[in-house]
Amino acid sequence: MTAEDPIKNRDCVAGIDVGSLSTEALILDMECGTAGYAIVQTGANSTDAAVSALEKALAASGIERDQIRRIVATGYGRVSIPFSDKRVTEISCHAMGAFHLFPDTGIVIDIGGQDSKVIRVGEGGRVLDFAMNDKCAAGTGRFLEVMADKLQVALDDMGPLSLKAGGEIGISSVCTVFAESEVVSLVARNHPKEEIIRGLHRAIVNRVWSMVKGIGVRGAVTMSGGVAKNSGVVSLMEEKLGQPIHVYSEPQIIGALGAALVARRDLQDVQ
Amino acid sequence: MSRREYLKNQKQKGRRLIGVFPAHYPREILWAFNSLPAEIWDPPLDIEGANAHLQPYICSVVKLGLELILQGKGDMLDGFLFPHTCDSIQNMASIVYDYLGVGKPCYFFYHPKAPYRPSSRRYYLEQLKSLVSRLERDLGPMDENELRRRVEQGHHLASILREIYDARRRGGLSASNADFYRMIRQGEYLHPDDFIPLLEDFLKASRGGDGKGPGVILSGVLPNPPEILNLLDELGVRVVDDDLLCCGRRIPMHTTMAQDPFEALVDSYFAMPPCTTKDSPLKGRVDYLLEKIAASKAKGVIFYLVKFCEPEWFDVPCMAEAVKEAGAAVLTVDVDLNQGLSGQLTTRIEAFVEMIGRQQEA
Repeated sequence: MTAEDPIKNRDCVAGIDVGSLSTEALILDMECGTAGYAIVQTGANSTDAAVSALEKALAASGIERDQIRRIVATGYGRVSIPFSDKRVTEISCHAMGAFHLFPDTGIVIDIGGQDSKVIRVGEGGRVLDFAMNDKCAAGTGRFLEVMADKLQVALDDMGPLSLKAGGEIGISSVCTVFAESEVVSLVARNHPKEEIIRGLHRAIVNRVWSMVKGIGVRGAVTMSGGVAKNSGVVSLMEEKLGQPIHVYSEPQIIGALGAALVARRDLQDVQ
Repeated sequence: MSRREYLKNQKQKGRRLIGVFPAHYPREILWAFNSLPAEIWDPPLDIEGANAHLQPYICSVVKLGLELILQGKGDMLDGFLFPHTCDSIQNMASIVYDYLGVGKPCYFFYHPKAPYRPSSRRYYLEQLKSLVSRLERDLGPMDENELRRRVEQGHHLASILREIYDARRRGGLSASNADFYRMIRQGEYLHPDDFIPLLEDFLKASRGGDGKGPGVILSGVLPNPPEILNLLDELGVRVVDDDLLCCGRRIPMHTTMAQDPFEALVDSYFAMPPCTTKDSPLKGRVDYLLEKIAASKAKGVIFYLVKFCEPEWFDVPCMAEAVKEAGAAVLTVDVDLNQGLSGQLTTRIEAFVEMIGRQQEA
């Protein structure tokens, strides 16, 4: 999805999603759709991360900064982007983005860096209902990061490794602190990493499942957020749902895409 | 004048101050004894000592109430009244009275729980008289004419509150959400001689809102953290009505002035809206909330709940389902009192407002 269109006089909009772990910027050409995007680490400064992501997305798309007519910010750091024209929550943006990519989406499961959400989506990507996990990072991307570090496994390898597991070790807590000490004990007893990882994935899925049940499954399910890249989590979630899940090739940018779509809609409304 | 300064001033005027824990009690009886109820819902304290006495799953209303006593912040008070509201408050009453020994009179007030039967009225009447007897032992005889006057004053107060709530429901009140609840909640410690004129001035000054912005209803115990109200104001959302224990649920839906002031108090109690702390049947609560939604054209309901408040949480799943079926949106937030607004809570509220905003557009 890199930008191939170098035309410099086209109007564009941008969406920027400042998450707890990563920041995404996406440029949308008003005529041709997505022109380019970039993903950077958020680090300690949300504003710097947003600037960096936008610059990289502009470079990737070959679009000039003055072609951007409107910027919508989303994500937990949306308040820290002084150059944005509007702020919209990531809940609305993930619904918009997922619906745009997969128009049969009825439910979005977004597992991000420090929270997870289940969103019921209606016509046009409207949010009909949502649930959000409560106050801690249990069962989120941060949880997986900590566990990957403890198991000395690359985060990207966790999914494929868990799919190779011959069995599964039950993890009794999804709390990052408790699960970490449980993993240490399991490693000390020489349990296979693959089986521990599968157990960790199961804990995440079970945690999110209670929110899915609360919202109710209607229509197709789309997963967004960094954890959607984890094939092990997606596989267990599909098993639980009893239906396949839509996963976009770059699920992390769905929030930024939704923000850009809101920017485009606003601009069209004005025009 | 701060709450503390006001109470000090009242004490200097010769009024006894009674610290009252939530929620339902006959204020008029205390007024008739020239006493002022100072309700204890959410004192702005850090919890230091209460955790040693209470289990972790006790709500912050009870923890903060006990903390107030443990930190000596209630030293100005002349006694405490514990209505039988829930198990946790009952438990706290026992800790305070039986174990801590606060050295001040402690009064206990029981009110009938639903479903109501003819005996419920008799029971309530007996409880009112029993409270009077107990107070007379400490404070001297009560003048029944004074009680009648205070009951009438209570009715007048209720009628002004109903008028303010009606004006808001119709979109005819310009006060912000934060100002509205700041005003209403002053009734938790102001004497009616002071509160009534204040409310009348408020109504006069606030008439004439534009009724713009999506309307929501709050349901729960109390509007704390108040930052939620500020956020709703910033987002252009109007709170059009409430089903809050400390506010709307304590305003009788109608009043009748029976000849006997005790009978009038009984009438008022049974004319209160349905409430979790009275074990009101779920259907009654659902119907009441749906009527409010219809009357105010609210787009959604925010269940604004104190974490671990069992009576409220029992009903919420069914209440939320009924609201959704009626076509209104639902947001459930659980809070610890005085915790402020976390980023996550802000996101949930903003997303809810976006959701009802787009539903309105659609």
